[in-house]
Amino acid sequence: MEIKREESNGIVIFRVAGDIDLNTSPELKKFFDQVIKENKKKILIDLKDVSYVDSSGLATLVEILKNLRVYGGRLKLTSLSAKVRGLFEITRLDKLFDISAGEEDALSSFNEA
Amino acid sequence: MQKTKSKKRVKDTEEREVVAEVRDLVRNFGDRIVLNGINLKVYRGETFVIMGGSGSGKSTLLRHMIGNLKPTSGRVLLFGKDITDFYGPDLDEVRKKIGMSFQSSALFDSMTVAENVSLAIREHTKLEDSVIDIMIKMKLELVGLRGFENLMPSELSGGMRKRVGLARAIAMDPQVVFYDEPTAGLDPIVAAVINKLIIDLSKKLSITSIVVTHDMKGIMTIADRIAMLYEGKVLEIGTPREIKNSRNEIVQQFIKGEHDGPIRFFQQKDDYLEHLIR
Repeated sequence: MEIKREESNGIVIFRVAGDIDLNTSPELKKFFDQVIKENKKKILIDLKDVSYVDSSGLATLVEILKNLRVYGGRLKLTSLSAKVRGLFEITRLDKLFDISAGEEDALSSFNEA
Repeated sequence: MQKTKSKKRVKDTEEREVVAEVRDLVRNFGDRIVLNGINLKVYRGETFVIMGGSGSGKSTLLRHMIGNLKPTSGRVLLFGKDITDFYGPDLDEVRKKIGMSFQSSALFDSMTVAENVSLAIREHTKLEDSVIDIMIKMKLELVGLRGFENLMPSELSGGMRKRVGLARAIAMDPQVVFYDEPTAGLDPIVAAVINKLIIDLSKKLSITSIVVTHDMKGIMTIADRIAMLYEGKVLEIGTPREIKNSRNEIVQQFIKGEHDGPIRFFQQKDDYLEHLIR
């Protein structure tokens, strides 16, 4: 799994590539623990290049969301493949996360709210 | 939530992916032949039921398929790998991809529901407790037991224990789940609930299910294909409809639950009286 970081108009974008599973979820958690320490308020995770997320990956994303909300941070997810989107739907996490179809929508919705 | 990789897929001639296979499997216990030349294939995504009477060898076959028992001869393959001679770490690695639901639920009585469900996750991963707690809630939600995390197994009904066993079986997102008599000892309604769960989990999580049972009603509800085991051999393999319409008298006696027929449980032997006074 690889994570690339960019910043655009106060929004921090993380582009994740690879699988998020039992092996890589701890790494993802550690990575975002550092980000959360920076108290970044607007975070966008691009999952375009993620082909699979298992339940440990979903739980890790929930934990990241929880920790962000503690200090009023916001998290959006974007560009989920149909398969990954299906995994969110099975677990009903599509109702918990703010999921945008594309990056532009996600970025503009940050600014609207 | 099952992972499918296009690489390493094992396809048979019908272009369906084989996830479990048994080839010419023979198992003797002393002089007794318990399994006598078993051949079968289980395809990805299907619910495959191994049915047969008590002592037909079905649980023994299941234990061979997960590597708990080693055959006298023949091979067992999981995910295209020949696991017949696998022990220790090699076997553990393959077992990470499978889940097992035991007849007795096999919960640890000294552990809470959450601790039972999370046991394998804690053992095999480096995930933090906070993440594991969320995973447990997700698994328990799937079996309708969220909120029961802190109860002890002794505080649960038989059906609830079975459901905790199912949550534990799917804890590591297995590709295949083996069920050993999932409805044994349950009343018909609870048995129906468990059967519905097996179907739901298979469909929602794209799990391949391999179920050993003699619960006829359940078999016809959950099975995509059925293998009928009799005296250590596969008598017939087919869809529920094919099995129902089988012309084999043994299959018919079994599915109709008739006491009289080719399957004999009590055999009167001529040497009975002589045996008494010997």
